[in-house]
Amino acid sequence: MSADARVADVAYSRYDGPRAGRLAAIWSLARWSSLRALGARRGWKAKVIPITLILLGFAPALVVLGLRALFGPTVFRGGLSAALPYSDYTATIGIVILVFSVVVTPELLCPDRRDGTLSLYFSTAIGRGDYVLGKVLAALMPIMLVTLVPSLILYAGNLLFAVHPVGYLDKHAADIPRIIGSGLLIGIFYALVGLAISSLTARRAFAVGGYLAFLAIPTVMGGVLAHALNERYLRLLAFAAVPIQAARGLYPGYTDRGHLSAALWASTAVELMVVAIAVLAIRYGRDTG
Amino acid sequence: MSGNGGDAEPLIEIEGVTKRYGGIVALQDVSATLTERAVGLLGANGAGKSTLMRVMLGLIKADAGRVSVLGIDASRPRWDVRRLLGYMPEHSCLPLGMTARDLVVHMGELRGLPRRVAVLRASEVLFQVGLEEERSRLIRTFSVGMKQRTNLAQAIVHSPGLVILDEPTNGLDPAGREEMLTLVRRLSAELGIAVVMSSHVLEDVARTCDSVIVLREGRVAATRRIDHTAAAAHGDVRVRVAGDPDGFARAARDLGLDVHADGGGRADGEAAWLIIRGTDADGVLVGVRDAAVAAGVGLQELRPAGPTLEESLIGEIG
Repeated sequence: MSADARVADVAYSRYDGPRAGRLAAIWSLARWSSLRALGARRGWKAKVIPITLILLGFAPALVVLGLRALFGPTVFRGGLSAALPYSDYTATIGIVILVFSVVVTPELLCPDRRDGTLSLYFSTAIGRGDYVLGKVLAALMPIMLVTLVPSLILYAGNLLFAVHPVGYLDKHAADIPRIIGSGLLIGIFYALVGLAISSLTARRAFAVGGYLAFLAIPTVMGGVLAHALNERYLRLLAFAAVPIQAARGLYPGYTDRGHLSAALWASTAVELMVVAIAVLAIRYGRDTG
Repeated sequence: MSGNGGDAEPLIEIEGVTKRYGGIVALQDVSATLTERAVGLLGANGAGKSTLMRVMLGLIKADAGRVSVLGIDASRPRWDVRRLLGYMPEHSCLPLGMTARDLVVHMGELRGLPRRVAVLRASEVLFQVGLEEERSRLIRTFSVGMKQRTNLAQAIVHSPGLVILDEPTNGLDPAGREEMLTLVRRLSAELGIAVVMSSHVLEDVARTCDSVIVLREGRVAATRRIDHTAAAAHGDVRVRVAGDPDGFARAARDLGLDVHADGGGRADGEAAWLIIRGTDADGVLVGVRDAAVAAGVGLQELRPAGPTLEESLIGEIG
């Protein structure tokens, strides 16, 4: 034994120090849940898909900024901002956002139901409403890694490469709240809808399948029927596109090929989110006794 | 416990609690005041033990009545009550994909511990429950006993004033049960955590608790203090010997013990019971042994002289 070795006294001690409040508990639940959904403290298989999807979400911004860095300001006609407008970014990576939310949200709720962990959580300071709030935050944080952060990086790159950064900031200052609003709207939509569908089953595979079916089947049916019946409002059944189209309405120069207004897309998004909240309230509002 | 608690501050006060699930009455006008450091809820499956615990925790609302835990109304916002309580649910409820350490840290944070403190205390409690070597293993790889110990660790990580244990020995093999009972007794006896434990096994309650409340069909059927110290101090025993009982009695009296014939009835041909009294339990047992040797008789049976806890509870329940 080393001369420096000593016997550690690992005795149980009373704790009389400060205790954090309820909000800290909700935040703790959100932080742990989101990290685990991204694969933290789990095997490499659990990390590969989320990390790959996040990188794919960043790819357009990194490609545009990389080309600008390599080939100079003349590489894009009309300037760097025109190469990949902020209003089009989430539409460009729409499929990545969809798949990412399909991967992340079931992981937040299904294991808790499968393992019966809810009674353990509810025996702490976390109530049913707190649990849902924590899980919504837990879904929102990683989803914003693909709905918000890439656009912010693109903005920062554009600012960095601008000939007159201060002038760029002055001209494009209004884009910052638009980017944040757009990222939040899309993130909240996918978080709520994904969690609502995941709350219906303890099986992750069923949640993934159900979520994909919920987004894909109405989209396909709506597209086919809109074309066949020449009824443009049926395009609103494209649930996967609803938040992205609504978010595009935050930017000037909004156009839609079906001539549906941004307000119509936004109201559809809000309605779906209200339904999702109602489903969560029903699933977690009941007495667990 | 009601009527026996002296002036001690009650841990839990239950007044007229009734809970129904549809047409099924889970609890019917249950009242009790729990003052001892370790209280057992004893009853068969479906007697209302888990329901009563859930009412104490505020997990479910009683249809009628009031519960006060550590002086706080259990129906008040749950944060006030629950950060002072620990709860070990009956059924398996652990997240199988987490390590024991991560779970205990997480539950500590959810009960109000700052993260750094939660990490430190997780190591302490996992050591206390004997899982220090396995703390980094996934819970899904644990045996039932290890899962139960993890369950106990998460219940006490935040230094609760009171921990509620719902059937902590359920599903354990004899060795695991023995370890769990020892841990439960340590909570109140050494770690300073008051315990409310449910069980349908009287022996588990008798070994770990200071008092017992018997529930039957949702009602309090009996309450009783378990006086470990009195039993150990007096140690009066009833014995039945094979051989000459009179010779044994003489030998015992020569050793300074007080010997009486038990007046209870016996079957024909059955040896008489003798009651042996002394000043302390060890002295009585040594005296019985030496008297048997001196009289050349064999000991057929040796029991506590008074009614056992089981006998007295059966007598009270009727």
